[in-house]
Amino acid sequence: MFEWLEGTPVAIWVGESLWGYPILLACHAVGLAIVVGTFVMRDLRLIGLFKGISYESLDSLRKLGWAGFVVNAISGCFLFTSQATTFASSTPFLLKISMIFLAAICAAIIQNKMRDEASAWDGAGAAAGSVRVIAMLSIALWTGAIIAGRLTAYL
Amino acid sequence: MQAFVSAVEGSAIHQLVVGSAWAWPVMEIIHFIGLSLLLGSLLVIDLRMAGFFRKIDVTATHQLLPWTFIGFGLNLATGVLFVMGDPARYTANIGFWWKMFLVAVAGLNALWFWVKINPVMKTWEPHADTPVLAKTIAWISLCSWFGVLLLGRLIPYIGTG
Repeated sequence: MFEWLEGTPVAIWVGESLWGYPILLACHAVGLAIVVGTFVMRDLRLIGLFKGISYESLDSLRKLGWAGFVVNAISGCFLFTSQATTFASSTPFLLKISMIFLAAICAAIIQNKMRDEASAWDGAGAAAGSVRVIAMLSIALWTGAIIAGRLTAYL
Repeated sequence: MQAFVSAVEGSAIHQLVVGSAWAWPVMEIIHFIGLSLLLGSLLVIDLRMAGFFRKIDVTATHQLLPWTFIGFGLNLATGVLFVMGDPARYTANIGFWWKMFLVAVAGLNALWFWVKINPVMKTWEPHADTPVLAKTIAWISLCSWFGVLLLGRLIPYIGTG
């Protein structure tokens, strides 16, 4: 299946055109900064930093974070096609994808909790303990995804 | 420039960077974490200062600034090491010089913020729109830093001038 994918016209354009691969990499870097940056800032607030920013107002960042996620899902799929067989058998790459999948689940849990409980956390002055743990896990997963992603190019 | 390249290539730090197979990937990982902190904190600060996200108290967004500086510090340190590890390649690369130019623009813009906006920011209404000058500075900041990111990623692909 991955060999077939590598032979499709899209994969050949990504791999062989002068600007296909660099432009997709550039998009992937912009998306990375947006999704990791935005979600990690939200997580740091949930852990207890930036006390002047209310938990209720954090919801503003949700769409921005997911926009970065979508940019990277799309650019990532294109990048994947060009070396599908290599990526599909690369341990760091598979680790990266697993960690991103788990980080997305963390983001979904966090925003569900925030929708129901953010105003209560503002009253109490701190987020629920379970949410703080998930926020720390989220930071660890995004950091791990960056590490595994970079190592994909080397291992 | 040739004298600079020769001097760097004779230095102990250059030997350290090129001497280990792990040095370069570890520096890249730190550089990527740094850019996420730098751009992530600036996205929140600058987009609010540009008038978006009005539910967020604009006077409290400066609490994220330490993370901007942590991100910048990590990337300055690893960035200097990249140049010391491969001085001939960077100094000959036009993309690298445009990137440095945009870092300088972003730095001057931050100075502009410090002089004109920072002293009056505390008097702003927490959830109101922002002045035109603040919006201008916010957009210059976002455009220059995302330009830095794009040029940085494209350095391996841009010609050597």
